[in-house]
Amino acid sequence: MNIKLYLGIGAIVLFTSLLMYNFGNSIDTYVNFIEAEHRPSSHVVGVWDDSEEWGFSRERMQFSFHMKDEDGNVRRVVYPRPKPNNFEQATQLVVIGEMRNNTFYANDMLMKCPSKYNDASEIEFTSAEEG
Amino acid sequence: MTGTIGHIFLAASFIASIAAMIAYSYAAYSNNKKIERVSNWLWGTKGVTLLISSGILIYLIMTHQFQYYYVWNYTSLDLETQYLFSAFYGGQEGSFMLWIICSFVVGIGLIKWTRTPYKAPVMAVMALTQVFLLSMVVGWNFFGINIGASPFRTIAMEMPNAPFIQANPDFVPADGSGLNDLLKSPWMMIHPPIIFVGFAMMTVPFAFAIASLWTKTYHEWIKPALPWTLAANLSLLTAIFLGGYWAYETLSFGGYWAWDPVENASLVPWLIGTAGIHAMIIQRKSSRAHKASIFLSILAYIAIVYQTFLTRSGVLGEQSVHSFVDLGLYGQLLLFILVMTFLGIGFYLYRYRELPSPEKESTVLSREFMTFTGSMLLLIMGLVIIFGTSSPIIGRFFVDNPTPPEISFYNNWSMPIAIIMAFFTVIGQHLFWKRYTWESLAGILVVPLLLTSIASILSIILGDVRNIYYMVFIFAAWFAVFGNGAILFDLLKRKPKLIGGSLNHIGFGVLLLGIIASSVYTEPLLDQRAADYNARIAQGDVYDEEGFPVTQPVEMFELEIDRPKLINERWMVTYEGYEVSDSPRPGQQSYRVRFEPVDGGSPFYMDPVVYPMLTTSSRDNIEWSVDPHVRSGLLSDIYFYVAGSRYVANENERVERQNQLLPVSGNEEPQDDTQKVELTRGETVEAGDFSLSFVDFRPASEEHLPDNTQVGIRALIRVENISSGRAYEVEPLFAVYTEEGRSFTYSPGLAIDAWEMEVQFSRLIPEDESIELTINGTLEDFEEDWILVVAEIKPFVSVVWLGTFLLMGGFTISIFRHWSREKKTQENYSDDESEE
Repeated sequence: MNIKLYLGIGAIVLFTSLLMYNFGNSIDTYVNFIEAEHRPSSHVVGVWDDSEEWGFSRERMQFSFHMKDEDGNVRRVVYPRPKPNNFEQATQLVVIGEMRNNTFYANDMLMKCPSKYNDASEIEFTSAEEG
Repeated sequence: MTGTIGHIFLAASFIASIAAMIAYSYAAYSNNKKIERVSNWLWGTKGVTLLISSGILIYLIMTHQFQYYYVWNYTSLDLETQYLFSAFYGGQEGSFMLWIICSFVVGIGLIKWTRTPYKAPVMAVMALTQVFLLSMVVGWNFFGINIGASPFRTIAMEMPNAPFIQANPDFVPADGSGLNDLLKSPWMMIHPPIIFVGFAMMTVPFAFAIASLWTKTYHEWIKPALPWTLAANLSLLTAIFLGGYWAYETLSFGGYWAWDPVENASLVPWLIGTAGIHAMIIQRKSSRAHKASIFLSILAYIAIVYQTFLTRSGVLGEQSVHSFVDLGLYGQLLLFILVMTFLGIGFYLYRYRELPSPEKESTVLSREFMTFTGSMLLLIMGLVIIFGTSSPIIGRFFVDNPTPPEISFYNNWSMPIAIIMAFFTVIGQHLFWKRYTWESLAGILVVPLLLTSIASILSIILGDVRNIYYMVFIFAAWFAVFGNGAILFDLLKRKPKLIGGSLNHIGFGVLLLGIIASSVYTEPLLDQRAADYNARIAQGDVYDEEGFPVTQPVEMFELEIDRPKLINERWMVTYEGYEVSDSPRPGQQSYRVRFEPVDGGSPFYMDPVVYPMLTTSSRDNIEWSVDPHVRSGLLSDIYFYVAGSRYVANENERVERQNQLLPVSGNEEPQDDTQKVELTRGETVEAGDFSLSFVDFRPASEEHLPDNTQVGIRALIRVENISSGRAYEVEPLFAVYTEEGRSFTYSPGLAIDAWEMEVQFSRLIPEDESIELTINGTLEDFEEDWILVVAEIKPFVSVVWLGTFLLMGGFTISIFRHWSREKKTQENYSDDESEE
């Protein structure tokens, strides 16, 4: 009985610490572009800066645009896939990748959209009124 | 006005469920049948008022009453009737109502079928959950504190400070903002009802567990609860399947599973529910594991509430592509989860010492131990996923501002757990039906092990598997298939009604095989150039303009119209053009791409679609969405979508030009795309990116000529695009005819649709037999039609579905089996009652 109990407790402790350790390693903190310069892989949150050049290049087979992070730093972001579906619609972008020489090479990109279920904004309301 | 009635009925429903909760609790406490009957009536009142209120909401949606915020926000005039109906549960408020309706119906079933000692307390718990769910939509305001968000609130209530409401409080928008295009899918119409049926039924084991603690009858409750739990699991499984299928077929997610928080939200209750089923089965068979089955039944429902909290409170807002809008329900949802946890776990701990414990421990080689281990593994799997999904909360203990865990976190945990599970299913299932010693067990497993080894070796060789970890995984999965297959074979001969369990465990093995094949061995489809480029990247031979090595491989290719490309050395792939149509989505293009296997075999077509998202597009900004084409096969699927095309690029350019021109109010002349060319017979002239050849004259047939024609002739013209080498031949007509004594020329232009070009034989110069052509269309900077393709070949996705269907079948058989047994006991029981 006691041996089993100890084994059980041991297993739980082992499991929990392993889980904690693994979880701790697999999450990261969001950073800005400046901080990203010294890290191998980073998550940067920001918004699309549409005043700068952007688009998909058919020669280089990559999508590039400029993003302004939460502290106002603007950097060029290169994404090796076509423009994601709801890119223009996104109110917030998360790019995951590596910063090299002032260009951010994103391996992955998440779009935060107003909502999949159509969040309303007042701008939409005024246009509904005109229509 | 109508909305106010709906609102009142909703409030009545809320009050009725509070009353039902109190009455049921009192009936349970005092064991009073009369009060129990009154409570049943209250439950019915709750349901009827709720149904009326839902009917009113559907009516408002169907009659397009856009002054109501919910109607405006989720529907529009052009929405088809079936989607108008599904818009009822398209939003947060309506989906809560659907959940409550499902729970109401489940409650009716419980009133009808539950035995007396449990009925009142079970219904009391059911009513309690209803109070919480209804409070989310009741929309009351007490002294500035909002309780719930009513689906019947008007736009004026939603945004009282908006300028147009201040100007005109009775403002009614002309049209709604429409249902999100991605949700306009038949899969999405049935997915929510099935998931809420699952949620509602998963409340039943929770209610029974609480009732057993309440009445201190710890053993009997699992018999009525088991069929409900199995049915809840079947529902959740079906919902998970539909969600995965939708993500795969409709969204360009690239697969059926992405460890997205919302997906996890349905998986975790399923895993914990399944763990609970294992514990209940031990309890039923061997009167053990009472503690585990009560605990897991409570936990499965808490998991549902917790995942509801995560997806609906806005906590996950930044991490999931599809969490709900935050309606300010954070506090209420938090209270819901706290009360359920406190009630469940608190009551459990309070009674813990009284709960029956087995007199002696079971040995390792017993069905109890094995089944219990299976249950614990499922629980661990569920906990790991909850842990990962909770990263916005738990992650704060590790870092500030935590990101979600990498996908590898989930894979690293689920793979070894799945391997262990696979081995345990076989040993556990054998022990479940018969006693074995280690020796006799080894003896009986010789044949399955032999088959497993053969199948694994074949899979490893044919699939070119090099990773030892994957080899172990494949072996374990085949072992689950053959080991449980042997049991199925045996049961089919003896007790075919009992095959539910073994079918489930075979399904689990099949599912594992499908998952490993389709996820690890997915390959992108690439042309030769991209494949070579990627090989060079892999060797580290590619550098960007700043001298850094390029690490990101290319995962797409371009196709120009009518120019076949060799793809993956297997197919000649040709883009043959597109068609624009307005059905079912206005402005959608279907692209036509031909695949011709190089080793013979019949060619086939892929027809992916690109369409403008109606709800989010506007005149000055079109947003495009893609609808992938999946060609499903037994061995592999081809997943194919168009990520860019000349049509889309031109449309975007046109919109942009329009935007820039609009403020200048169009005083710029439209571009003149007309060009005249003179050609003698047999001559070829280059114009822009084209070469035009006048091959010869051709006679014109009578029926195409106007009356009184004097001259009527055609010219055979060959138009070739220089860069692509594509060519078209046209025979435009030139005719001179007389009418009322005057001469007219007749020379209709002929269109070359693929190039949006028109060729007109505009003049005949008889002196030197030369002609003049007028060409309408872009000649300079002409671009042939092209598409950008993202495509993958995914092996054995069919096996994933097969595994899922086997699980569904196994659960269904088990439900019937346990339900018919429960019915029999009930009949015996009611006979006893009438004899009293």
